[in-house]
Amino acid sequence: MDKSRLQHIINTDESVISIKGLYKSFEDLEVLKGIDFNLFKGENIAVLGKSGTGKSVLIKIIVGLLKPDEGEVYVLGQQVDKLNRKELDALRLRIGFSFQHSALYDSMNVYQNLAFPLTMNIKNLSKKEVNNAVDEVLDAVGLMDKLNQMPSDLSGGQKKRIGIARTLILKPEIMLYDEPTSGLDPITSTEVIALINEVQQQYNTSSIIITHDLTCAKNTGNRIAMMLDGQFLRIGKFEEVFDSNDEEVKGFFNYNFIQ
Amino acid sequence: MNKTSNKRAVIVGLFIFIGLLFLIAGILIVGNLRNTFKDKMKVVSLFDDVNGLQKGNNIWFSGVKIGTVFNLQFYGESQVKVILNIETSAQQYIRKDSKVKITSDGIIGKKILVIYGGTSKSNEVQEGDTLEVEKSFTSEDMINTLQENNKNILAITTDFKVISKKLVAGEGTIGKFLNDNSVYSNINAATISLQNASEKAQKLIGSLAAFSEGLNKKGTLANELTTDTIIFNSIKTTVLQLQSIADTAAVFIANLKQTASNPNSPIGVLLHDKESGARLKETIKNLESSSKKLDEDLEAAQHNFLLRGYFKKKAKSSNADK
Amino acid sequence: MINNNTKKYIFSRGIDDYFTGVHKAYKFTSLFFKEVIKKPFHIREVINQCFEIGIRALPLITLTGFIVGIVFTKQSRPSLEDFGATSWLPSLIGIAIVRALGPLVTALICAGKVGSSIGAELGSMKVTEQIDAMEVSAINPFKYLVVTRVLATSITIPILALYCSCVGLFGSYINVHTEETSSIISFYQDAFSTISFLDIFTGVVKSIAYGLTIGLVGCYKGYNATQGTRGVGKAANQAVVLSMFLIFIEEVIIVQVSNWIRYF
Ligand SMILES: Nc1ncnc2c1ncn2[C@@H]1O[C@H](COP(=O)(O)OP(=O)(O)OP(=O)(O)O)[C@@H](O)[C@H]1O
Ligand SMILES: [Mg+2]
Repeated sequence: MDKSRLQHIINTDESVISIKGLYKSFEDLEVLKGIDFNLFKGENIAVLGKSGTGKSVLIKIIVGLLKPDEGEVYVLGQQVDKLNRKELDALRLRIGFSFQHSALYDSMNVYQNLAFPLTMNIKNLSKKEVNNAVDEVLDAVGLMDKLNQMPSDLSGGQKKRIGIARTLILKPEIMLYDEPTSGLDPITSTEVIALINEVQQQYNTSSIIITHDLTCAKNTGNRIAMMLDGQFLRIGKFEEVFDSNDEEVKGFFNYNFIQ
Repeated sequence: MNKTSNKRAVIVGLFIFIGLLFLIAGILIVGNLRNTFKDKMKVVSLFDDVNGLQKGNNIWFSGVKIGTVFNLQFYGESQVKVILNIETSAQQYIRKDSKVKITSDGIIGKKILVIYGGTSKSNEVQEGDTLEVEKSFTSEDMINTLQENNKNILAITTDFKVISKKLVAGEGTIGKFLNDNSVYSNINAATISLQNASEKAQKLIGSLAAFSEGLNKKGTLANELTTDTIIFNSIKTTVLQLQSIADTAAVFIANLKQTASNPNSPIGVLLHDKESGARLKETIKNLESSSKKLDEDLEAAQHNFLLRGYFKKKAKSSNADK
Repeated sequence: MINNNTKKYIFSRGIDDYFTGVHKAYKFTSLFFKEVIKKPFHIREVINQCFEIGIRALPLITLTGFIVGIVFTKQSRPSLEDFGATSWLPSLIGIAIVRALGPLVTALICAGKVGSSIGAELGSMKVTEQIDAMEVSAINPFKYLVVTRVLATSITIPILALYCSCVGLFGSYINVHTEETSSIISFYQDAFSTISFLDIFTGVVKSIAYGLTIGLVGCYKGYNATQGTRGVGKAANQAVVLSMFLIFIEEVIIVQVSNWIRYF
């Protein structure tokens, strides 16, 4: 990829995620074909892109769920694919990962879902401390009344918010959202966008937000990355990316408006 | 990079698979091969009837497993040649005059071949030697033989009856009697077959004892065996009695011969005649009662638990006729 | 294109995949033995799973064990009757049940009931990314899900097997009692007089092996489920089929090995 096409707008000294020349393929299918970017501290990047271009694969590599074929992935100063289990777990405690389909533990109720990562990672917590932490994150996502429900009894949007709450409970430094607003009505969608911004403010996180939704991208991202065919086509402020005359960017733009 | 690691996974998987296959096959085969590693020698033995003995049945010596039956082949007209595979470590205990018999491992167990006896006078058994077989009686054989024997005894008794009748009726002196060749050979033959019969009966008793002893082992149904033992003992006594009668008869005949060869004492001969006649009568009476007793015992044996199977078969076939 | 394809596989796609599967299963198994001795132990979760498994399989094992005991006694009776040896029934049945039937019946039932539910549970957790969610929460899902379940099956199935043997003997007693009116004490005395420590020991060892197999196979199939909801069904189904197959192979091997021990 021609590096000159990348337009870095925000320049900060400290980058929390730094990716260079990332390649990833599954059997015959080449998914990521050379990704380079930095996520700076306190910054939100919204990644836009067609379905199946490898957005989810990208953040799974960042969190160490998948191994890169080639390239370097530094998260909080550590090269993710070179860490052993213990170091990786320590790193993961500092990263929040909100799944595309929520991935709530369906054998546990909401309270247990939220308390689980906490009690498993921090030993000797009193019941009160756990309750307080659960209440805090539930309050943040505005679902205090769902404490004892099972995930199967929640709506899609509620599941998404509980999923976000579950990642917040460990007070991460980096948040990775995989399509937080997909399948939500505009009102709920607005609520989730507000939540993401609130989290950024309140917990002082840096985030990557993967989305198809231009509104979401515009309102949450300090920078926008356009992903196409396994590469970052453009990266920069929203206006800069979409002022482009690039046919592919325009196509995505129009497509989203028709939707 | 992805592809090369994939290939390695396939190869490692293949090796694990083959390794597991060998391990399993090894465990299953080694158990059976284990014995092959021990040195073996082959010995043969000829049986009239192997009673369902099969390839692979165990061979015991003093209750210790020392080998297996290697093969069974028909031999001669109806005999069976059994080839025994014996561990060489047991060779020193088995003598050339050791004997072989077939019994079963418990009452419903598998057939086993037992090597027993043997004296230190003889040499150690060698590869290819033939071990003598002691005829092992099945319950069927036993009953048949006993009945046959009984018939013989009855026939002999009849012979004696005829002879003694002639004597008592005074159909000539003993001299005349002895000169009559046909009568003489008659009585002679009768005596010999009597002796044979009693000898046979004696042998029978031996195996009968072994048979009942085997059944009497711990763990079998002692209750029913008590009755068996009683019946067997009874048969035994009867046969012993028969034997002594036969002996008496033999002595008597010998006496007769001696007397007859002394023609110079007619009175003695006459005296002897009368006396002999009476004794002969007595012998015959004894014989008759003995064989009757034997018959009764055999009847009792029919109701015996262990021999029931044999008689059941008979009853069944006669039932089927109805 | 064709040339490219032939180069890529050592044998063919199917065979390569099979051996890759063997390699994966081997790694999965050795990972279990590595992780099982490492902290943290999640003892509470193991106990939970033990209860789950025990309660899930208990009714069926009770029923089956009882029926096996009755039927087996009933069927053995005529042949022993021919020898007038029906008094041997308790010891005969005792040996058969403790040595072979109890562990095997339990293992097969658990393969069906427990193996399939473990496969389905982990399978659905896998395809809905719940396992990934654990991973990113810095919880080792292998330890929390796999190790605990495999431990639970290895602990519970021997207990269930002993229980199944007892129920089977009781079923046998019912049959013996109705025919011979012998007391339960004399029945159990007879039955246990022939059962040696080695019988019970091999029975337990066997059941532990079966438990390991059922747990490992169920977890392996579930943990590696793919293709969404269809994958879950496939995982559950394969867990049952494969574990039953392995149980029979193990049965043969363990009988062989225990016979070596018995006679030497
Ligand atoms: N574990 C995997 N094994 C094989 N192929 C995979 C795997 N994960 C993803 N892929 C493939 O990689 C490609 C990118 O997948 P990914 O989930 O990243 O898409 P996405 O950009 O997140 O799409 P969406 O917006 O629909 O979520 C897809 O074609 C998918 O089939
Ligand atoms: Mg995705």
